[in-house]
Amino acid sequence: MKKKLLSLLLALSFVVSLTACGSSDTTGGTSDSASSDAVSDTSEGASSTAEEAEASAAEEGSDSGEFAGTITLGMIGPMTGSLAVYGTHVANGVNLAIEQINAAGGVIVGDETYELAVESKDDQGDSTECLNAMNALISDGIELVIGSATSGCTSSITSVANSEGVVLVTPSGTADALTTEMDYVFRTCFKDSFQGELAAQYAADEGYTKVGIVYCSADTYSAGLRDAFAAAAEELGLEVVAEESVATMTEVDYTNQFTKMVEAGAELVFIPFYYDVTGPYLVPQARSVGFDGILLGADGVDNTETTIPDGADLSVYNDFLFVNHYSTELATSDISTSFVESYEEAYGETPNNFDALGYDAVLVLKQAIESCGAFDADSVQAALADTSVVYEVSTGTFSFDDTGTPIKTGVLMGYSYTEGDDAVTKIAVTTLSLD
Amino acid sequence: MKKSETRTRYLVNFLAVVLLFAVSLVMSAASGDTLKLKIVPSIWQCCYLIIMAASLNLVLGFLGQLSLGHCGFMAVGAYTAALISLAFQRSGFYEEKSGPAFLLVLLLSTLAAGVLAALMGLLVGIPALRLKGDYLAIITLGFGMIIVNVINNLPFCGQQGLGQGSASSALYATGLGFSNDEKVQYLWVAVLTVILCMTAMLLFVRSKYGRSIRAIRDNEIAAATSGINVSYYKVLTFTISAFFAGITGALYACCNAALATTSFAFTNGSILNSVFIVVMVVVGGMGSMTGSVIAAVALFLLNYTIKNGAWVSALPAVLQNVFTYPMLVYSVALIIVILFRPRGIMGSREFALCDIPKWPGMVKAYFTSRFGKKEASRHA
Repeated sequence: MKKKLLSLLLALSFVVSLTACGSSDTTGGTSDSASSDAVSDTSEGASSTAEEAEASAAEEGSDSGEFAGTITLGMIGPMTGSLAVYGTHVANGVNLAIEQINAAGGVIVGDETYELAVESKDDQGDSTECLNAMNALISDGIELVIGSATSGCTSSITSVANSEGVVLVTPSGTADALTTEMDYVFRTCFKDSFQGELAAQYAADEGYTKVGIVYCSADTYSAGLRDAFAAAAEELGLEVVAEESVATMTEVDYTNQFTKMVEAGAELVFIPFYYDVTGPYLVPQARSVGFDGILLGADGVDNTETTIPDGADLSVYNDFLFVNHYSTELATSDISTSFVESYEEAYGETPNNFDALGYDAVLVLKQAIESCGAFDADSVQAALADTSVVYEVSTGTFSFDDTGTPIKTGVLMGYSYTEGDDAVTKIAVTTLSLD
Repeated sequence: MKKSETRTRYLVNFLAVVLLFAVSLVMSAASGDTLKLKIVPSIWQCCYLIIMAASLNLVLGFLGQLSLGHCGFMAVGAYTAALISLAFQRSGFYEEKSGPAFLLVLLLSTLAAGVLAALMGLLVGIPALRLKGDYLAIITLGFGMIIVNVINNLPFCGQQGLGQGSASSALYATGLGFSNDEKVQYLWVAVLTVILCMTAMLLFVRSKYGRSIRAIRDNEIAAATSGINVSYYKVLTFTISAFFAGITGALYACCNAALATTSFAFTNGSILNSVFIVVMVVVGGMGSMTGSVIAAVALFLLNYTIKNGAWVSALPAVLQNVFTYPMLVYSVALIIVILFRPRGIMGSREFALCDIPKWPGMVKAYFTSRFGKKEASRHA
């Protein structure tokens, strides 16, 4: 008995120490601590950033006592599990936006100002959990929800959003079918087919004629991008000389596929995969079988620099480009540069797509609330559904098309390595838009 | 068991059923947002988890074979049900989600889901169960991973057919994929399915087949010597187990608006993955059907309330941090059960209302056996 109690105690202390490590360094503002901030509930607030927000609020002389009430936004995302990077970064962006808005005096609804708050739920990247979280938020009376970070989870809650009449803004669900008509579902990112078209447009503009595609037919994201890219390539007169599919998105061997690309003489290969395979497997293997053309990915390969194994030959990552939502280097507008600065200040790192798109989701909702003077779902939906409204947010200036997807531009980014450096650098090449 | 005791048991159970019915009537009368948004979806999820755990218990608890790919059968069932209902809907057999035509399709697709999953079980079981040893665990582990990729790559049912992001709308069009209101309306489907499946499984384990498979579990050689066809019974049980897992898949397809194979994959971080179903069976007690029910509901409620419950925010900050990582909580819960109740909550007993008066005595006996041992060791 004593032994059992002791071993239980050991297990418990192990568990507590594991999580305590993550939260003890909240002042550092690493992504770890940010994640625990994001999951903690609204009354607690995000500790490190909240303090700064309070500090800046004090500077500007605004007082939180002036608020007439609180508008609580819901947020759903994978805070734990294999996709936790997405969820925690969206949460960072959302929290930052809310703190800035509150510090700057809140949201003006009619004659009164309201404070923004967020109630955040973890879906672990699972569609059932996501549905549960959505239902729980609705039953708590929340009418404006930001989420989820992935297309798969978002597709399980769009129908609930429409049937229950709750505004859902997905920051990063790019699957085409999420927003089919002007309903309660909106997004702040572009959609997959648009990325595919941008990629084909880039290939055509650069004068490439023979392109290849390596994709995963089993994956929604990858197959959707491939369809859009192939269709646009045909329209633009590019010849798709070879097309190869792999079985899963976590495939570790791409040598066969790229050998065929080399044999077919492809000058550019489109690779709609995620960052977890491009860094360690796809790019080095493509180079090792002699493919020395352009590797062109989509937004999924952002963050590849985090998955490059130690001691790898970094020169292989040259000529590795990708279409992306947003680049800190190409950020020119005031709101964009101020976002980057405040984000770096709050979290100590450069923001990525998910941070920016989460931040934008809050800004879009705020603007819609202020323009219609109400914060119930139907009024906000009507305000968002107005396609003439222009939103100026950190990822650019856009208005919604008639499905609730932004009409915006993309950026072309890439990796470059110069001899002697100890890491690859992420470079922003150019801004892309459809002709 | 004496005749009079049997009669009392029937009476008590009858009263309990009446009480449950009354509760559900009151519940449906007091229809509110909480009911529609929290309680009913939770009951749906409990329903499929209960059948999942109980059907795995047939293999793990009663037959004594470890299967690690149970969610694979569920995936087969879910996609079968979705595709069959889609075919009926496209042929114009039914248009709205009501009326006898729709119920017929619901029944057909659910049965077909079970049958196809059973066929898969047969295919996996025949080679795996003729061998002695842990081969079933290895083969089912592979099956669970393979089936997800197979479904993904089938042109008519993978991501490109039902999926491509349109899984949501496709499932809605098929009639499966109930909205919150329809979940309330068709709650009886889920409850009835659970009752039917549980009854069938209980009857199975209490029949001569059940006695045979328990004999195989306890001593395979002795069972074979007494004339039990070991591989026949093993394959039969495994196939039946897969059948019920397929039915669960159909319920899952009804409960969720979107089907994605990642939900059935081995790596699913939520409680719906093959390993977690094994955990449910172990926690509930291997060889106790009612134990599986209790464990499935308990683990679901643990998972659900960690994410959506109010009690977590009432905990001290240190513990709250632990609860932001649900997997840690499950592991601690599992460690507690394994340490203090290695045979699971129910052991191999079944829950019976009439036994409730005996519980205090049993708890007392449990503690005296524990602390008695401690006293004895101290004296020695």
